[in-house]
Amino acid sequence: MTTAFIFGLLIALMLTGMPISIALGLTVLSYLYLMTQVPIEAVALKLFTGIESFEIMAIPFFILAGNFLTHGGVARRMINFATSLIGHWYGGLGLAGVMACALFAAVSGSSPATVVAIGSLVLPAMVNQGFPRRFGAGVITTSGALGILIPPSIVMVIYAVATGGSIAVDPAGRRVLSASVGQLFMAGVIPGLILASMLGSVTFYRAWKNDYPRMKKGTWMDTVRAFRESVWGLLLIVIVLGGIYTGMFTPTEAAAMSAVYAFVIAVFVYKDMKLTEVPKVLLASANMSAMILYIITNAVLFSFLMTYEQIPQIMTNWIVERGVGWIEFLLFVNLLLLLAGNVMEPSSIVLITAPILFPIAIKLGIHPVHLGILMTVNMEVGLCHPPVGLNLYVASGITKLGITELTVAVWPWLLAMLTFLVMVTYIPEMSLWLPRVLGML
Amino acid sequence: MAAAGVDYPSGSAQSSRNNTGGKLMLRILDRLEEVLIATLIALATVIIFVAVVHRYLSGIPFFFPLMSQIHLSWAQELCVYMFVWMAKFGAAYGVRTGIHVGVDVLVNQLGPKSRRAMILFAMMCGALFTAIIGTMGASFVISLMDTDQVSPDMELPRWMVFACVPLGSYLMCFRFLQVAWAFWWTGELPHHDPGHVEGVIESPAVAKEMAP
Repeated sequence: MTTAFIFGLLIALMLTGMPISIALGLTVLSYLYLMTQVPIEAVALKLFTGIESFEIMAIPFFILAGNFLTHGGVARRMINFATSLIGHWYGGLGLAGVMACALFAAVSGSSPATVVAIGSLVLPAMVNQGFPRRFGAGVITTSGALGILIPPSIVMVIYAVATGGSIAVDPAGRRVLSASVGQLFMAGVIPGLILASMLGSVTFYRAWKNDYPRMKKGTWMDTVRAFRESVWGLLLIVIVLGGIYTGMFTPTEAAAMSAVYAFVIAVFVYKDMKLTEVPKVLLASANMSAMILYIITNAVLFSFLMTYEQIPQIMTNWIVERGVGWIEFLLFVNLLLLLAGNVMEPSSIVLITAPILFPIAIKLGIHPVHLGILMTVNMEVGLCHPPVGLNLYVASGITKLGITELTVAVWPWLLAMLTFLVMVTYIPEMSLWLPRVLGML
Repeated sequence: MAAAGVDYPSGSAQSSRNNTGGKLMLRILDRLEEVLIATLIALATVIIFVAVVHRYLSGIPFFFPLMSQIHLSWAQELCVYMFVWMAKFGAAYGVRTGIHVGVDVLVNQLGPKSRRAMILFAMMCGALFTAIIGTMGASFVISLMDTDQVSPDMELPRWMVFACVPLGSYLMCFRFLQVAWAFWWTGELPHHDPGHVEGVIESPAVAKEMAP
């Protein structure tokens, strides 16, 4: 009953179109005020302490690092490197587009920005070479989403934060702590590579079947030169992953180091950005981070309410009593997240659903890291599928194709992504193998 | 950032005659807000960078005598507080740039009249919520002023640290009212473009150049 009331209110408020953070906060306030005797002051304290943790601060740092390198010049270097390496295969520029998207998305961290940065260069070139416009649009729209999965990924930090305080017990009754940012980043590497190759294979196959143009094979010298130019951007991933793995930095420190590194590269090495443009980047990053931190503050309030009403426990018991296994549960999770992906952006979805799904998943014996990767992949798919995927909208802007036409265009790749989602869901080892081999689990 | 530094028309014909002074105040407030959050994120980054470098230099014998005299144990705490301040004021700035997105599937299905009403209602809810939080925060901060609670590492008075909640929330409330006011008169909402990238060239010439 209370559960129905809380979620009913939340959904009703969200449907008015108000910011999700406000909807969360208002739900908590009105529930506490109308239905309980909890002193509101107890809530006030949560508002202060909600984001007072060093771990959360990785988010603004990663956003800043990404924004320094989210630049057309960086995109061009990634494209050059990718074309010189695989442009002469079937799929040519399209295949190189997938790789360029994967590289750029990993560095920039923003999916829509990847679609724009890579798409506005690769698409006209593809059309020029005689690829159908739809083919290019499909490739770029879906590949742009890779950034969420390839570390450093902000959605993963948010998952770690959202589940960090949860009290969860595994089937044997032991308390299970949530996944750390380092574990999640490492776990994302292999699924990220697999998804990139799956998208690449679809491109390859369709290009081979339709005999789309390929590029001339470049000389070794070209490849080396293109690599030398793009490697500065790519080292960012090495700094983050390597730094965390070797224990040189905590994830937040790694994020701060990567922000400073990205600044140096963008301003002094690539010289894409003048020093006078830096304040603009700072402001844009502060704007984006403040938005996410504000949602987190209110989501903390919301999960306080959840815990207070013991909703996660009630749901866990309900599911266990029904004898639902992990297979059915994960199917349900996927459907729920895909549905939510239609109307909300990734960070809000993870913040609202993770604290509830986490205890249930653990009780059913699902590994915290596996759940995290699964949720991340879902967010990725959500960006590319109709009716409201953000990538579709951005791509529609640069390709001048309507949403309906784009929906048709992305189908082959979206199907590959859905297949991949099923694989990630039901083959936990895909996410768990690498962190385990590295001794991080 | 597309919407950065744009001033929204603060009403139509009415406001033009009464207050150029008010407009100047608004512009100063806008600039202050922007400078504050941009500075905070930059300083926080530098502080953590310096702290990490310091930690590694302390490990090198040559630098140790110099480094051991500098203590940076407060760096993490300061960074967290800076980001909390940035988050509160940045959230207010975000209302002005339209970055706080919601679920707009239903709203976009409505007719123009009900859509307008719904958007204004959502804005007012935002103003209401931030006003409540601001007031709660203010009373909390005032009650803290009577205590001598300090933060663990830097020993700053806690009320100072938490002053960002009432200040930021009231500012956010003001921004909601401002945006609602502009929407009432002009029907326009600030819009944030998630796909904005600097330095993107969209010219057929470059495309040709890339083609073999």
